[in-house]
Amino acid sequence: MVRSGLLGILALACLQGAAHGQMHGQHASEAACEEPMLRCATKATPAFGHDGTLWLVWMAGGQVSVANSHDAGHTFSAPVQVTARGLNLDWGPDARPKIVVDRQGGIALAFATFRDEAFNGQVLYTRSADGGKSFAELRPITANNESQRFEALALDQDGTVFAAWLDKRNRVPAKQAGQKYDGAGLFFASSRDGGATYAEARLAHDNTCECCRLGLAFAAAGRPVVIFRNIFEGGVRDHAVMTFTDVSTPGEIHRVSNDDWQINACPHHGPSLTVAPNGTYHVAWYTNGKARKGLFYAHSRDEGRTFSAPMAVGRPDRNPARPFVLAGAAETVMVWKEFDGEKTTVQMMISRDDGATWSPPKTISSTTDTSDHPLLVSNGRQSYLSWMTKADGYRLMPIEDQP
Amino acid sequence: MKRRIAGILCLGILLASGSALGAQPALKPFERGTWQRVLRDHAGRPTLVHFWGVTCGPCKVELPLLGQFAKDHPDIDVITISADLVPNLPAAAQSMLDKAGLSSTENFIFSDGFVERLRFEIDPAWQGDIPRTMLISQNGTITTIEGSAEIADLEKWSAEQRFSH
Repeated sequence: MVRSGLLGILALACLQGAAHGQMHGQHASEAACEEPMLRCATKATPAFGHDGTLWLVWMAGGQVSVANSHDAGHTFSAPVQVTARGLNLDWGPDARPKIVVDRQGGIALAFATFRDEAFNGQVLYTRSADGGKSFAELRPITANNESQRFEALALDQDGTVFAAWLDKRNRVPAKQAGQKYDGAGLFFASSRDGGATYAEARLAHDNTCECCRLGLAFAAAGRPVVIFRNIFEGGVRDHAVMTFTDVSTPGEIHRVSNDDWQINACPHHGPSLTVAPNGTYHVAWYTNGKARKGLFYAHSRDEGRTFSAPMAVGRPDRNPARPFVLAGAAETVMVWKEFDGEKTTVQMMISRDDGATWSPPKTISSTTDTSDHPLLVSNGRQSYLSWMTKADGYRLMPIEDQP
Repeated sequence: MKRRIAGILCLGILLASGSALGAQPALKPFERGTWQRVLRDHAGRPTLVHFWGVTCGPCKVELPLLGQFAKDHPDIDVITISADLVPNLPAAAQSMLDKAGLSSTENFIFSDGFVERLRFEIDPAWQGDIPRTMLISQNGTITTIEGSAEIADLEKWSAEQRFSH
């Protein structure tokens, strides 16, 4: 009797413990729920198709799914799951699934998973040739088995899909030679068949920061340009851009700004890049360097060889973070997050003179729980804020032209 | 006797449930308000707080060095806080701590999905870069080291604490 009583109490205590664990787990998660549906997503990435359809790819419940919207994000089609089973998706702060949609409606996707218990990454890709109804079996973007993360995709005018990512394969020969290898290599590959197969991966630049997203765009037909947090002499993790001569030939790297952030750490905070129709590069980035701290914007009118003086962005007392810049035909828009201790807001500013001057920042959205990075997407006529939040779900908001 | 049996049962069930759930009871949840509690609990004692994460390359190199430092300096309160963004990997975090010789230090893991708010409570200017080490002197002075700490700097700070004591 005594024993059964004790066991009963212990069982009750265990049950209570388990219940507490569940509640605790939900609160602790950055996801609102654990299903593959959009409402549970932690990261969602948009792209407009040539016909004006909005496509969204998201990660939720260990799965990657895609859906489309014909009414600017008010309603979405039934999601199509890209992953056949739950995967250990790369949940790094700067990781997210990528999507490009070509003129024929072909959809190329890429995302990273953690392949093993040491958190080595693997970039997987797939393509839909039937307008998003189905996706090909997932394939690794490179046969190499060293860690790959932070892939980026961009679409050239002729339909070539260009992919860049951070890859640790060159650590192996360095280690064998008894040499130190900092960071990771910037690798790239392109696809001439809309993302069905990719050419062999090649190195663009060694020793870049290994834990920040890349910014990728096309400067002109056949000329990808990538911005990345580089590791300069002395372990300084400042930003650099590289404009490729063509999709197979890397170019020189040029420093965006001399911030002097010497740090042996993972900043988990990558840059943003957009190229205006007139060829101006607009870039935004975070630094905590000796020369400057916070969020900054600059532009280049000579294909990334030189940049304007860094312009501070956001309120320094509100932790400005996660910048995203997008150039349209008439205006350039920039968004970022700020946090006041309780609430996260998305701030927005617009330039109508190709980045020379900017409107005062304006709060365009807010949330009281965790949220994805704010992103911008354009259908060629209208730019939108795309923002996944835990408390309020997915939002697509038109960027109003009026200050 | 009964109490002892209950204790053994409890331990057995806790261990069994712990392993079944993949949970490590040694890792404490770091939630809203935990930071102020940590500061209160260690007030007046030299305290080293180390923020790290399982996917952070430099952290993997630094953690064993910190384990040795903790072993060499029992007079310093060493606290680790796993500050990755997804707080659902206690087993991986515990395994790395064990391998680094940090099993017996006070170890926390971020347990609130709203990491911006957790970080803001610790340091409003911190954007989440790890590793990061905060050295808290007996008088409450906080020195923050961004990135991997040099063990020589930790030794120097530790010696200053003994001197001021």
